[in-house]
Amino acid sequence: MRTLVFIPAWNEEDSVAAVIADVRECMPEADLLVIDDGSTDATAERARAAGALVASLPFNQGLGAALQTGYLHALREGYEACAHLDADGQHPPAEVARLLGEVYADRADLVIGSRYRDPGKAESDDYKPTISRRIGTGVFRFFLTLATRQRFTDTTSGMRAANRRVMALFSERYSPDFAEIESLQLAVREGLRVEELPVRMLERAGGTSFLTPLRSAFFIFKGLIVLVVGQFRPRHAGAER
Amino acid sequence: MAAASQSPKVHLTSQTRVIAAVLALAFMALVLELIRRDRLQERFSVVWFVAGLGMLIGAAFPGLLTLVADAMGVRDTNVALFSIVLLFLLGLALNFSVTMSRQAAQITRLAQERALEKARAQSLSSENGGEAKSKSLES
Repeated sequence: MRTLVFIPAWNEEDSVAAVIADVRECMPEADLLVIDDGSTDATAERARAAGALVASLPFNQGLGAALQTGYLHALREGYEACAHLDADGQHPPAEVARLLGEVYADRADLVIGSRYRDPGKAESDDYKPTISRRIGTGVFRFFLTLATRQRFTDTTSGMRAANRRVMALFSERYSPDFAEIESLQLAVREGLRVEELPVRMLERAGGTSFLTPLRSAFFIFKGLIVLVVGQFRPRHAGAER
Repeated sequence: MAAASQSPKVHLTSQTRVIAAVLALAFMALVLELIRRDRLQERFSVVWFVAGLGMLIGAAFPGLLTLVADAMGVRDTNVALFSIVLLFLLGLALNFSVTMSRQAAQITRLAQERALEKARAQSLSSENGGEAKSKSLES
């Protein structure tokens, strides 16, 4: 199956080359696209030097727009499956390959890598979130489960694999503001099969989380509004299955 | 009776009416001038033109405002006037937010298209460059 692995990157010059090398080694048959989201550092150059195709957005557009660029490319170039992972090195490509395996086997349209559902364990023990993060995660889990009637543990995971149905949907409709959560809700609402797979994640190689308590509160508030509004959105006409 | 006791409140002197009319005309002239200089697109100008016209009519027939206030059940014509203007501006601001959202989405798609276009051109040129090199090696 023709597969595209894409990596959204915003000012990740320290880690992007290593991530590309890892993906190459793990999935030599997959094509690679780095979406440089208006980086002001050497992210694009490093990625190009590491041998990846680089699509540079002319200005920073946010993660949602960067991911949508990847889905758009995958759809247009006729890839049968695609996957994306973060550029900061916390997502092992071997785990991405496992997600893709589910898509190849047609067990799901969209597969999310979850850091929480360790095989045989309820919670991950190598991941210790802060309190505000834990509250946010809990709130989102609760409301997303309520909205989709499906259990999700890692609602903001940036490690995903998808088939062409998802590409068609996400290349048209992908919220730039609240990409991860709204996209899950959208996919379930459109009747796509969304599956979560427990994966191993690493400590981020570079950069720090952007969350402070106040920001987390705002983030949660915004997320809730997005979820409520999302419940009333009209369904997409083109994504019947 | 109630209208009579209020009439002094809405009674505009001819001076204020002239000033209001001149302001309304100046405003409409400004809108026209902005269109003429391509600083404002026609489709955005209609609403401002209507606003200017409303100002002009209000200045010409101050009794109209009293009628409107009575219809709204508002005693004070000033309050009626401010409410109408406030609602008008609120609607306009919302309209602008909608326009901005649409344009933001368009800009995003444009940026995505350009990024992918450039990436494709780059991969093509690097392929061609590779061929050129191998050709030059052959010759």
